[in-house]
Amino acid sequence: MSRYDAIIVGAGAGGGVAAGLLAEAGKRVLLLERGPDLSYAQLGRDHLRNQRLSRYGHNAGPEVEGNPRTLEDGRVVRPHEGGYQNNAAMVGSGTRVFGARAWRFMPQDFRMASTYGAPGGSSLADWPISYGDLEPWYEKAEWEIGVSGDHRAMSHLPPYRRPYPMPPLPNNAQAQAGLAGLQALGWNALPIPQFINSIEYQGRPACIRCQHCVGFACPVDAKNGTRNTLIERALRSGNCELRAGVMVERIHCDSGGRVKGVRWIDAAGVAGSAEAEVVIVSAGAVESARLLLNSATAREPTGLGNRGDQVGRHLQGHTNANVRGIFPQPVMDNLGPGGGIGTCDFNHGNPGVIGGGIIIDNLIVLPVIFWKSFTPPDLPRWGRAAKGFMRDRYRFVGEAKATIQEIPDPDARVTIDAKVRDRYGIPVAHLSGALHPETLRAAEFMYGRAEAWWRAAGVTKIWGSRPSAGLSGGQHQAGTCRMGDDPETSVVDRWQRVHDHENLFVLDGSVHVTNGGFNPVLTILALAWRATDRILAQW
Amino acid sequence: MFNALQLQTLHAAIDRIIPEDDFPGGVEAGVADYLLRQLGRDLAHLAQDYPRFCDALEAEAQAAHGQAFAALKDEQQDDMLTRVERGEVQADWPLDPAAFFAEFIEHCAEGFYSDPGNGGNRDGVAWRMIGYEVKG
Repeated sequence: MSRYDAIIVGAGAGGGVAAGLLAEAGKRVLLLERGPDLSYAQLGRDHLRNQRLSRYGHNAGPEVEGNPRTLEDGRVVRPHEGGYQNNAAMVGSGTRVFGARAWRFMPQDFRMASTYGAPGGSSLADWPISYGDLEPWYEKAEWEIGVSGDHRAMSHLPPYRRPYPMPPLPNNAQAQAGLAGLQALGWNALPIPQFINSIEYQGRPACIRCQHCVGFACPVDAKNGTRNTLIERALRSGNCELRAGVMVERIHCDSGGRVKGVRWIDAAGVAGSAEAEVVIVSAGAVESARLLLNSATAREPTGLGNRGDQVGRHLQGHTNANVRGIFPQPVMDNLGPGGGIGTCDFNHGNPGVIGGGIIIDNLIVLPVIFWKSFTPPDLPRWGRAAKGFMRDRYRFVGEAKATIQEIPDPDARVTIDAKVRDRYGIPVAHLSGALHPETLRAAEFMYGRAEAWWRAAGVTKIWGSRPSAGLSGGQHQAGTCRMGDDPETSVVDRWQRVHDHENLFVLDGSVHVTNGGFNPVLTILALAWRATDRILAQW
Repeated sequence: MFNALQLQTLHAAIDRIIPEDDFPGGVEAGVADYLLRQLGRDLAHLAQDYPRFCDALEAEAQAAHGQAFAALKDEQQDDMLTRVERGEVQADWPLDPAAFFAEFIEHCAEGFYSDPGNGGNRDGVAWRMIGYEVKG
């Protein structure tokens, strides 16, 4: 039996941070990742199989076959199919192929119930920690992972104590048009903070403004995630052993609830196990919940940390309201990553609405995605007019996108489907539930704000898409192991330690009580940083 | 997979979904290549249905005009495809015409607008047409 100081399950955002900090502090770390460690070339530029359009598969995993989930309507879905709520399965996970937005949540996002009151049927609650508690780690993550932005423009937040380490990327044509619209409306405009080098930083070059950012890996390594920062630091320390292609099946506890280690199955089907002083689960909101539930013991027959029947509940991500329009001038100028400008004026304080969210101009849209999802509803789907629209209008269409804070619902959840097993023989995740009606109300409001922006920006024809009530999660998945002081209503404590388990932690979006009206990854990273610093301080 | 007549019908249909204008039509741009490649891969479940679809289109042309689909004028082909799209067919179809047609036009667009690595969009012609430039 191999023995380590710490075993980390999942080499994405949270697990990557923990690996780096623990290994640099001299702890012997085993970092386990179910997916492979893929090169830039392996991730490729396949427009039909990527994290933006998974028509026939995913470039970043998991494998199409052998990793099913089941849905409420009885469907057994594969990772690239609708309803699966996929997130990248590889070393670095989403931080390798993301759109690289580096938002902090707002102070109000940590006390949603106090601010608005919890609507019926929801599980809206306050976090046990505040923005102020997390702020120092937001700053650390911004500097050590690397964010470009303008702290002076972040007027929706308390003043930053330290600027971003890099200035924002220059606006492309769509962002310029969007900026003019925001200025015409008198709304606060800000450059979107991004995990992208605008100048050389930490020995890696500046962004070359390519057209394959979101959904793909960076050709010059200017996109900053955990793989090229904290995981690299972990490996460089000599104290971290990274094992990719290993699926953890179960967490082992002794009869008193102390976690002893984990058992896994590798890609060849060979079982293995290791023990450690500390076990950290960082597999994402669906898979972390699945692992805790699949690790039931006589002492905890419904799963680890599940005394209050909270593991797997409150699954949330972000729903979007998308407004598209035709500009009089080209707004697609091939300057990536695209999506440079936004406003936070509507994250809170909206009349009759709980929460809200950011509105931003969207990233560059690949041609085939544009054809599938971005054309006006009255356009013929074939023939001369269809082709002509693409020829004449692709570069003139822009999108304003609102990312809406979801109102958690306890019935939106992950459970175990014991009847269906994955390629390793492990019972799969079953997903059920839907969006809370208040989420849809907020989305409708935000659609109107996005529409007002795009009209002010000068579009001559406008259309869009509103969210449906279907369950959310996906790449922004969160909420299934929520943080709280009371074990009856939460899974982890304010330091992300699983209740009733002194040496078991969850470091990923699962712990988010609410998920903000922002891309959540900076918050996942900052929380993991804070929790790991605490683990080390108490070791 | 396809006999000569089926392939001729398929090509003719593809070139109405993505017709030639200042830029190449679908077949010249590699859409048929994309489709044939995919029928051996991700769309293998349609490898039997696609030839049937071509047969049905051909039967439809014979029923309406007494001619091969590929021999019809552009406008006649467009009218017929519009009726297929609406499910308004005269011949005996072994598959749901409207549902299959919806899939067909999606596959054509994928072959035309996705990356050349998938077998279509020859030399990036569709990207040049719309102004999507890959730099870096």
